[in-house]
Amino acid sequence: MGFNFGFALSTIPIIIGAIGTTLLATVLSCLGASVLGFTLEMIRRGGGAPGLAVRFLIDFIRSTPVLAWLYFLYFVMPFYGIRLGAMTVGILGLSLYYSGYLAEVFKAGIDAIPRGQQEAARALSLTRRDTVIFVIAPQMLRNIAAPLGNYLVSILKATPYLAILAVPEMLGRAFDIASETYRYAEPLTVAGVLFLALALIISYGVKRIEKLLLASGRR
Amino acid sequence: MSMLDIWLGVLQGLRITAAVTAYGLVFAVPFALVFGVAQFLTTGLTRFLITAVIEFWRSSAVVVLLFVFYYVLPVMGVTLSAMTVSALVLGLNSGGYASQAVRAGLQSLPAGQREAGMALGLSRPAILLLIELPQALVAMSPTFVNNLIQLVKATSLVSLVTLTDMTFRAKEISQTEYDPVAIYSALLLAFFVVCYPIALAGRWLEARVNPETGAPRGI
Repeated sequence: MGFNFGFALSTIPIIIGAIGTTLLATVLSCLGASVLGFTLEMIRRGGGAPGLAVRFLIDFIRSTPVLAWLYFLYFVMPFYGIRLGAMTVGILGLSLYYSGYLAEVFKAGIDAIPRGQQEAARALSLTRRDTVIFVIAPQMLRNIAAPLGNYLVSILKATPYLAILAVPEMLGRAFDIASETYRYAEPLTVAGVLFLALALIISYGVKRIEKLLLASGRR
Repeated sequence: MSMLDIWLGVLQGLRITAAVTAYGLVFAVPFALVFGVAQFLTTGLTRFLITAVIEFWRSSAVVVLLFVFYYVLPVMGVTLSAMTVSALVLGLNSGGYASQAVRAGLQSLPAGQREAGMALGLSRPAILLLIELPQALVAMSPTFVNNLIQLVKATSLVSLVTLTDMTFRAKEISQTEYDPVAIYSALLLAFFVVCYPIALAGRWLEARVNPETGAPRGI
């Protein structure tokens, strides 16, 4: 059969047409994972029985593959009468899986702030809320910007898993073309190149932002 | 089927999961060592080319990469078994990540180590093999354990290219038994039982290798 370059080129616009779904899934999963990861870290910090339970949950999530979580949510939720679209299930799955990783990122980001910062805020009679907003949060954000950016790229690279749940993101679209034309090599190669390009562009953007933040942190 | 029967059924796929992991390491370890060292030693155009190869393997989405190689290689006239393609793709992806740990480990050694080797009249290869690599690899060993866990988890993907690993077994069982809760819990539990001990070993290693930094949690 051989690799038909003309055909490969003709699939590019169709597959790029699904880039919106890929990016939406990436951004929503990253937001979901951040909110859930931060919540998990706060519960873990609180200690006690909930803290221990969350500590185990995080270890459990990190010891299991994202594909198994996607299948779990996709097949188990309908069993309990919860019917959600494939895209929603996929975003929930990626959020849950990556929250286990982001919890560690938040932990490291908070741990890295020197204790004196909080003590100084108290010495200046800042309220608890002002301390978190003006002292802790900005420093934590600077600490976590780089790893958070790396996980954004990881999540982007995990979104093609959603094709397995028949979400029409870029890989899913490539498989649609393949099953219509019986040619797999060309659309899949195009999807591979597009995902690589997207990952490299976002990595580059993340590195630029990281540099800016580092520069703003120096005085 | 009882919960236990289902779990044992899923575990029947452990042999393939283990085989893909082991076979993947055959690709990952040499790739990480050769390309990590090469990126450390070279400059200019050579370094750019080596970096490009590493980036191809680590920045591509592994899901897409597996499908691309699975469908494109036969079109190019290269016929490999599903097992070999999976080991190659998962192995080199994971080797790409590990190569960055090898390079970072070498870069973080004090220059005095190399200078002392030169003062003793050792050749460059001897300095690398006898002085630099042993220290870098030991310092980075917890990261390699994390990479191994990621590889084990990534093997769940081979179920999509017809290999009967644990994930494939779970889907097979779900075709005869309507018990998604038990089946997919069993799958998650099976991976946890495999990966968690490796993670604990990684934490132990971390505490041994970097006692002063405290143990950043593994997995």
